Amino acid sequence: MVTCLGDVFFPETGVRIVRLLRRLGVHVDFPRGQTCCGLPLFNSGYRAEAAAVAARTAALLRDAEHVVVPSGSCAWMVKHEYPGLLAGDAGRAARDLAARTYELSQFLVSVVGRTRFRSAIRGRLTYHDSCHLLRGLGESRAPRAILGDLEGARLVELPGADECCGFGGSFSVRLPEVSTAILDAKLARVEATGADCVVACDAGCLMQMAGGLRRRGSRVRAAHLADVIEDGA
Amino acid sequence: MTRQEFLARIRSEVRRSPGRFAASVSERPARPGLVAETLRRELSERWPETLERFRREFERVGGAFHRVATIDDAAGEVRRIAAAHGARRIVTWHPEALGADLGSALAAGGLAVEAMPPGALGAGGERSALRARIAEGDLGVTGADLAIAETGTLVLVSGAGRPRSTALLPPCHVAVLDRGALVESLQQAGIFLEAWHDGEPAAWRGAAIHFVTGPSRTADIELTLTRGVHGPRDVHAVFVETPFRG
Amino acid sequence: MTFRERAATALRDTHLQEALTIATTRFIDLRRRAFGEFPEGDALRDRAREIKEATLQRLDHWVERLVERVEARGGRVHYASGAAEAREIVVDIARRAGARMAVKTKSMATEEVELNDALERAGIAPVETDLGEYIIQLAHEKPSHIIAPAIHKTKGQVAELFARELGRQVAADPEALTRIAREELREKFLKADVGITGANFAVAETGTIVLVTNEGNGRMATSLPRVHIALMGVEKVIPSMTDLMVFLAILARSATGQKLSAYTTLIQGPRRPGELEGPDELHLVLLDNGRIRQLAGPLRGALDCLRCGACLNVCPVYRQIGGHAYGYTYPGPIGILLTAMLHGEGAVKELAHASSLCGACADACPVRIDIPRMLIDLRGAGVSARTAPPAERLVFRTLARILRSPALYRLSIRLGRLAQRPFVRDGALPSLPLPFRAWTSTRDLPPVAARTFSERWAELEREAAPPPTGPR
Repeated sequence: MVTCLGDVFFPETGVRIVRLLRRLGVHVDFPRGQTCCGLPLFNSGYRAEAAAVAARTAALLRDAEHVVVPSGSCAWMVKHEYPGLLAGDAGRAARDLAARTYELSQFLVSVVGRTRFRSAIRGRLTYHDSCHLLRGLGESRAPRAILGDLEGARLVELPGADECCGFGGSFSVRLPEVSTAILDAKLARVEATGADCVVACDAGCLMQMAGGLRRRGSRVRAAHLADVIEDGA
Repeated sequence: MTRQEFLARIRSEVRRSPGRFAASVSERPARPGLVAETLRRELSERWPETLERFRREFERVGGAFHRVATIDDAAGEVRRIAAAHGARRIVTWHPEALGADLGSALAAGGLAVEAMPPGALGAGGERSALRARIAEGDLGVTGADLAIAETGTLVLVSGAGRPRSTALLPPCHVAVLDRGALVESLQQAGIFLEAWHDGEPAAWRGAAIHFVTGPSRTADIELTLTRGVHGPRDVHAVFVETPFRG
Repeated sequence: MTFRERAATALRDTHLQEALTIATTRFIDLRRRAFGEFPEGDALRDRAREIKEATLQRLDHWVERLVERVEARGGRVHYASGAAEAREIVVDIARRAGARMAVKTKSMATEEVELNDALERAGIAPVETDLGEYIIQLAHEKPSHIIAPAIHKTKGQVAELFARELGRQVAADPEALTRIAREELREKFLKADVGITGANFAVAETGTIVLVTNEGNGRMATSLPRVHIALMGVEKVIPSMTDLMVFLAILARSATGQKLSAYTTLIQGPRRPGELEGPDELHLVLLDNGRIRQLAGPLRGALDCLRCGACLNVCPVYRQIGGHAYGYTYPGPIGILLTAMLHGEGAVKELAHASSLCGACADACPVRIDIPRMLIDLRGAGVSARTAPPAERLVFRTLARILRSPALYRLSIRLGRLAQRPFVRDGALPSLPLPFRAWTSTRDLPPVAARTFSERWAELEREAAPPPTGPR
């Protein structure tokens, strides 16, 4: 599943993921016609609309042996909310789908069984825990296992890594001042680590952090986990 | 609103509501008095470890811990504490409540000691006069009905001869206790609380039970910790090795 | 002022920002350390949540039991359906006691019903005795945090305040300032006719009111004045002393990182015959004010709240804007739910969105209240009730249509590419007109990609070597 933000704004990340998975011996398929998991609708209280979008997306992914998702928030939506949003047979199918759905780092570590990769960038990396991956999916170890093992880069821990970046979907534009204040606090922490790059497993967080880093002319980059893994094995 | 209306309202909403999940309240001992007694016996076998843990936690919350051999030594220790605080006027629980006549021993050492009366006083005038004297006290001496090791807490039951303000108004509070008060955890304290409330309360029992965990404190101004806001600034526990309470 | 405007004002207040950062960070660290050293903590939290649910399932039984037991010990119980009635009841009791002055301990319930104004109008002077509450009372302000109400004030400001309102000159030193408060308030405690408190819990089986404090004012207010009035939300009742120990084990740890607060006071009725001290009268006022309706309502989970403040300390929004910006008695994540409970869903039209749904609150909550879920429910209620602005509803409904139609989706992308052309600078969109200005005023936006992933899939598919035999 590529996710709406991934499809539209970060297609290169999706491409890198496909190539990476293929090098690892995974057969990658992409059911066409994907749009969105429905989370933006769900979070703003448009439950019926979210359910309709979820039904469509779930149907598209029905036949996949594993569904790999580059964003923790979208993976969470499928795993945690789809079963409740969809009723009857669709609900049952959703539970089944949920069990086969993984965020990227989870897939790499627990299905492919690999944490060691070459780094695509040199220097210091730091990792931001996106909220839905950390608290929704309970995942904080897999990304760190990979980043800590990266050949050619060094992982430094980000103080307050578990603190929100301020994206929150529509929150970022409903309350932009607050969203930006939260972001500023996060970026101050990021820059204080001396890292060259902050890594996250969520397109929303990356849009927010990259947007802020660029605006302040920072030399720090924001990158997806897949962006810092060298394609080659 | 009347009680009937209020309860009826709750009842009708309770009936309309699906519970969120299967849930039960805590199981309570059927004969809490017996359980407490059994617990007391078990605890008496491992009191030294419990005491050590209590000391650590008590000091951790800012209490000052003292250990003496006998109740007579305790009086000496209280005198020393009083001297260290420059305390001249002492108020104490009534000897029956304390389990010993510490008051006389302290008075013999030249301190001005007033033991609390054994029960209530008659006229309001007497009461407020006594209260004024307690308020002028420099140091209050009490017992402790429980000492909870997990949290470093002293539990004081109010009642006849053991008024609440003895441990509250003077800036220094000294509790004198022996191994009989020691319990290991909040959960065990709960067993005693169940036992104490089982059936009608004894005639001496008051209406308040205070858990005291260190001195009075606040961090309301710029998060700077200060002690002795409304309650005592200093809390001392004097542990007497030789049991002195019946 | 809208919530957004109040929030923006708070963000510009640099002193508030500093105070909030220091205080919330401290509380977070203290709580983390306390639970870090407390392996039983998680199991106790589950247990506490279960006890709360079990109690709510038979709330009528437990309240009835509580009333029986309080009355058996000589206390009196009163029933307030709402804020106005609560004020009436309390003022009436105080008046009949001939009170001119009442000492109060920190009680969110009394704030909620706006008791102090009512007392003053009745000629009874309410004196807040919790140091933080005392300070803001003198300053005529509202509390900015559930646990540390004067967190937004510097020691310099407090010293000025004491000089101005009390005529007492002293250095801007917390110890000295505390000593002044101690002296001033001790006089009040000794003179007051009435002590008014809240209650952290009420134990049904024994008829016991439980007060958790650090300063000792709880003990003072319930031992010295002739009359004690406790105002308590009806959801605070718990069945037994055994249950109480579970809550005591987690409450202080969650609020301030202490194992227990300095004082936990258990009060069972007024002064008993053999006792020297204690009130002659004890009154327990049970408060509904929107709570009972939630037993069958969407905010039932919020009835579990212990008022510990842990969710405030970890909330990225609260940490930036503080309590006043929320505009209601209860701030922070749980505050939004409580405001909806007390004032109706309409009151939280904006506040329901004052959250990035990060989930830190649910994580920190000692009784695991799922605050984010209930916020989403409140947002949904706004949509169904059409209190959400029509323009917004149109946007989201349009979005939903686009996301259900691959053709519309592809069209939107092509339109986006077209529309953004004049605004692209150096591979980014630094500035866009409304409505996107909300983003670009402070952040760059990435442009819609020249080719989306979906558009590149065809060639990616061709790239694949003969299918490998690994996982699919």
